Amino acid sequence: MYLALKEIKHEKLRYSLIISMIVLISYLIFILTSLALGLAQQNTSAIESWNFKQIILNKDSDIALRQSLLSEKQVEALKIDNNKEALIGQASIVAKSSGKENISANFIGVKKEQFLYRELKLSSGKLPTTSHEVVVDSSFADKGYKIGDKIYFNSLKTPYKITGFVKNAKLSVAPVVYGLLSAWPELKSVTPNFVASALITKNNNYSVPSSELGSYSKQTLIDNLPGYSAQNKTFTFMIAFLMVISLIVIAVFLYIITIQKLPNFAVLRVQGISNKFLIKNTINQSLILVISGLAIGALLAMITAIAIPNSVPMSFNIPLLGLVSLGLIITSVLGSLIPVQTILHIDPVKAIS
Amino acid sequence: MAVIEFKKVNKHFGTGSARVHVLKDIDFSANAGEFVLILGPSGSGKSTFLTIAGNILSPTNGQVFINGKDISTYSTKERESLRLTDLGFVLQSHNLVPYLTVKEQFELADKVKKSGNLTPDNLTGLLEQLEISELIKKYPEQLSGGQSQRVAIARALYTDPQIVLADEPTAALDSKRVKVVGEILHHLAKSQNKAVIAVTHDLRLVEQADKIYELNDGKLTLKN
Ligand SMILES: Nc1ncnc2c1ncn2[C@@H]1O[C@H](COP(=O)(O)OP(=O)(O)OP(=O)(O)O)[C@@H](O)[C@H]1O
Ligand SMILES: [Mg+2]
Repeated sequence: MYLALKEIKHEKLRYSLIISMIVLISYLIFILTSLALGLAQQNTSAIESWNFKQIILNKDSDIALRQSLLSEKQVEALKIDNNKEALIGQASIVAKSSGKENISANFIGVKKEQFLYRELKLSSGKLPTTSHEVVVDSSFADKGYKIGDKIYFNSLKTPYKITGFVKNAKLSVAPVVYGLLSAWPELKSVTPNFVASALITKNNNYSVPSSELGSYSKQTLIDNLPGYSAQNKTFTFMIAFLMVISLIVIAVFLYIITIQKLPNFAVLRVQGISNKFLIKNTINQSLILVISGLAIGALLAMITAIAIPNSVPMSFNIPLLGLVSLGLIITSVLGSLIPVQTILHIDPVKAIS
Repeated sequence: MAVIEFKKVNKHFGTGSARVHVLKDIDFSANAGEFVLILGPSGSGKSTFLTIAGNILSPTNGQVFINGKDISTYSTKERESLRLTDLGFVLQSHNLVPYLTVKEQFELADKVKKSGNLTPDNLTGLLEQLEISELIKKYPEQLSGGQSQRVAIARALYTDPQIVLADEPTAALDSKRVKVVGEILHHLAKSQNKAVIAVTHDLRLVEQADKIYELNDGKLTLKN
């Protein structure tokens, strides 16, 4: 540590350039990770907010909520405990209000007596009580919608009234409008013999009575959201490649720095200073550089997150970013292990000309 | 008693037609309290001799004893600790860590050898003797060749080694300073009972030496 700190102190320019390189790399990785996570959450936050284990969908739906319909007969055959099961009806809608922007949204109809209705977490207002009342995602508020506003769906003539706002209610990157299931058939334009899109249950092994229906886990439902898996794979690969490339870049820099120090290390070896001491100093120096680079990068990313407009989805997940940082620290220690090999093979004779 | 002894030491470099015989059947010994000078022209094998004495290179054949122990049997770790505690090197060049001030060069020695180093008072005395007390806050790049050589001498003596090995310790010094360094090495041998071995082509050190060897074409001969 002694040599590491003294050297950084003496070679300020060189080491601040290296730290700023690490700052930029970690900043890029942090921002990209947060954007990827933000986008992922725009796909799933509504589903994640529903506290359920399994979802019962029509088998013909290809595990897509918006393709699934349950008939009255199918629902009658389902065992429904209002504390554990809840019917939901999904409809894709366009929300309009005079003088305001149209919003493409997902309507989710729920039943008042079932758990999902009771567990909706409002950020303001109150739950809908009639079939022409709704609570909407808080992004509606960003577009100027207020509690008490009249809102029209699709080309229907009867207005709905906004009674409250829900936070983080997004499904497939569209805001969610929660209403009562009784409003659903009209919005979905289905014949009255269909009564819901799906049933969610808190029961892990809910038995499905009909071979026309299938039971799927929450994760299966999320993985089958249109575009979701492809998007995640793309981001994961981007971040993984970025990490690998940064590993190589950082490792090369640390390698060059150490190579430049070898003649000097040879002198210290002549004086009887052990390999262990020199290696410890080299690794410590890498750690100092990387950790301070990461800290500044994280700070910059935090400032960016505060400054960035709400419409850009960005989500800071501290455990995930911690993991990313740990990855960078490990990669840089690995990077500094390459020159360690060289230190072990330093020939003290080189010091004596 | 001889603190360091060479018995029929030979050193070859390279193989095949490129093989050179640098040291030839060297017999040598130095006692505690002796200042030994080895004179020789450039390329005669002085540095090679010192590297073998300093336990950095092994001889091709022959034996080297330090304090009566054959060091060819030592492990890397034992060699390291021997260099750290019993040997002090004054190298021909690049002796100092470039990013440490003069004062910090001694601090570094304290980090790796926790005890048995000079006391602050003794260090101050040594620095004054070498006329480098004013330089302690400077970095090596700010020192002249002669100044850094004197710092290197102080650095080598700081760990209070039993054997001091110096490679051209006076190369960059003027006559007045050569005399000072010669006196310091001589005084060191006498007052602290150390074995001081210096290799050089500088005849100006001859006056202070107790024993003078000549190294010529790999052969060592005693002159006085
Ligand atoms: N690693 C090596 N491989 C091959 N030859 C070497 C090696 N080290 C030294 N030599 C050769 O051994 C001979 C003695 O070298 P050495 O460095 O001991 O000379 P020196 O007396 O210290 O010279 P100078 O006064 O110029 O420092 C030289 O001819 C040199 O070329
Ligand atoms: Mg030499």
